[in-house]
Amino acid sequence: MPEKSLLNNLLSRQDTWKGHQYHLSKNSISTGNDHIDKFLLGGWPLSAITEVSARQNGIGELSLLLPVLKHYTNKGKLCVWLDPPYEPYAPCLADAEILLDKILIVRSKNTKEWLWAAEQIIQGNALLFAWTHQINPNYTALRKLQLAATDNLSPTFLFREISSIKVPSPASLRIEIEGVRTNIMSLLIHKFKGKVPGTRIRINLSNKLLERTLLNKLPVNIRPPKQYKGTFSLPATVKPQHLNA
Amino acid sequence: MHNKNIWLYLKFPLLALESVLIYQSELSSDKPLAIISSHKNVRRIVCCNDASKQWGVEPELSLTTSLAICPDLVTFTENYSQEKLLLQQLALIAYRFSPEVIIDTAGLWLEISSCEHLFNGYENLLKQLHEQLLQQKINVVNGIGKNPLAAKLTCSDEFQKTVPKKCEIHSNLMATRLDNLPSTPKQQRSFKQLGLNTIQDLLKLPRCALSQRFDQVLMDTLGLLVGEKTFTGDRFKPPQSFYNEVQNPQGLYSKESLLFPMRTLLQQFCQYLAVLQCHSLQLEWTFEPLLGKHQKIILSLSGSNNSWSNFLNLSRLKLERIDLPQSIERISLSSNKFIDMPDLNVDLFNNQFDLNKEEKGLIDNLSARLGLEALSKLIISNEYLPEKASTLEPIHQNLDSKYIISKSYKPIWLLAEPSPAKWYKKQLYWGKPLKILSGPERLCGNWWQSEQKRDYYLVSDSEGSRYWIFRELLSNQWFVHGVFA
Repeated sequence: MPEKSLLNNLLSRQDTWKGHQYHLSKNSISTGNDHIDKFLLGGWPLSAITEVSARQNGIGELSLLLPVLKHYTNKGKLCVWLDPPYEPYAPCLADAEILLDKILIVRSKNTKEWLWAAEQIIQGNALLFAWTHQINPNYTALRKLQLAATDNLSPTFLFREISSIKVPSPASLRIEIEGVRTNIMSLLIHKFKGKVPGTRIRINLSNKLLERTLLNKLPVNIRPPKQYKGTFSLPATVKPQHLNA
Repeated sequence: MHNKNIWLYLKFPLLALESVLIYQSELSSDKPLAIISSHKNVRRIVCCNDASKQWGVEPELSLTTSLAICPDLVTFTENYSQEKLLLQQLALIAYRFSPEVIIDTAGLWLEISSCEHLFNGYENLLKQLHEQLLQQKINVVNGIGKNPLAAKLTCSDEFQKTVPKKCEIHSNLMATRLDNLPSTPKQQRSFKQLGLNTIQDLLKLPRCALSQRFDQVLMDTLGLLVGEKTFTGDRFKPPQSFYNEVQNPQGLYSKESLLFPMRTLLQQFCQYLAVLQCHSLQLEWTFEPLLGKHQKIILSLSGSNNSWSNFLNLSRLKLERIDLPQSIERISLSSNKFIDMPDLNVDLFNNQFDLNKEEKGLIDNLSARLGLEALSKLIISNEYLPEKASTLEPIHQNLDSKYIISKSYKPIWLLAEPSPAKWYKKQLYWGKPLKILSGPERLCGNWWQSEQKRDYYLVSDSEGSRYWIFRELLSNQWFVHGVFA
């Protein structure tokens, strides 16, 4: 029965879309948030590319992925950040219990290098966080990465410009993140197996952000220091570097 | 006087030819090939393969005669340094079979009696050694004796795969013709005049009678042969650093054509690593043109993988990034940074070892293609100023990360330089108006040089983007320093 085996082969492929598949996927990893897990039918898809497009920076697009990062780095898996837009701030990651030894920052010079590095990282079974702000990968390049990702046991995240949402992509999950107001973000699905495009969820961020201290109740003086007019000031000719020497 | 030692002599009859052919991928052994050397303005054949022998070419024949009888004969000039390097490589292979290896002019001696148990018998040892040499495409014949000289004299025309019995070893030596004994032509004539044909004939004569007729050198040789004297050759020890080179006088014009000699060099390097039981941390390739400047490639390695194919892949990635001179005449490979082979006694059900190996392999690949400068790791320290608390450092730099976890809210991104924000009519602006959500957190540092006092706040704009902003207390200016992504 060659036809049947051919059909089974096709159905077993990661990139085959099976209709009426609404059950929780076993091939996913928890996002660390029960609401998002339910929304994404189990969590971030494994062995697949997830495209994250944020309407604006600083709305918590990366903090969504910190639990995944913590999970994999604590398991001893290397996590590679390819072309991040800024320098990651180590104390923030350390506070989130992420092992910094397992984080590698890679910078590429051009599209060719970016694509090569992304493919190598996926094939090397590492967790990839890649930013495409400097390049614009075409469908073929993304398809190549998607195929490579099917052999990787972890998810792969691409952070793309919001304008790329309109362009077709082979990624398994395409998600748009928008800051509704402070501490509330909205996740909008553009493509995902088992979900209707346009499905949206609102997420409340940590209340920590609202813990505002009133300035007049601070135990320290926050006013800029005034010029001290006492007699104990250093002579004007002595410079700090002389003191060091 | 006889001890229990068994010596094996490996003779490489085509060493001169093989030392050239080993780096020539395009030449097949079906073609008539020969090595020539010049002596008193006459170029003569030193060594030739079977294909040329079928045409009638043989050693000592002049080049003109050889070309007359075999016009297709391909010749190369004898290269002693290349031969010496090949012999060193073969000694490295032999060193894996015996701890006692001595290098001869075109052969090797191995003491094999101490390794009989290790290889579960001489037959296994000889079989494995022969296979290893055949893999290197090296022609080899051998001789077995109770001392190094006896083993060399009894060298046959083919590779013996068994060690003869003691009495056979002795009788083989006694039956050896005197033509093979190291002696002068005058001494050879004397042997014939005396009617002496074999070693046995010579040894039958009283030693005092022989000493009257022949010089001390021959008497010493006989002393070595019967075991009265000990052989004092230098025992081979693997060098502490690796160096090997390939010369190609015709020149190599493309990067693809470099790969074959590079592969051969890497295979030899891996044999060296296997003998030393270590992993390499750095490789250095040098590509020299006939004229002009040479080009160097330094390959930094994590020491996770010792396979030549991995080294070749990494070298190929590195090659893609550089411009080479038009024609390469000499390729050399050197390495002197090693680490001990990692301990393989890991938990059977723990895959951490594989993970680390995979990770190191990936880092090697990325650094080879993108350059070491493209890779960095995050280092954290207990500094108060954020730009000093978090830094990016090269991956091979070992720095201790010390940090005490705090509960204060910190951004994921830190701007390379704090970006000035405006305070205008009691309102903060950074492109858009900003609203303070929490703060301040006072951070002071650098008090010993130019003191820094900052009050950090968490702010957000109307679209929900959150930033880490600080007020510099001394100048009373506001700066955006981080982004809460």
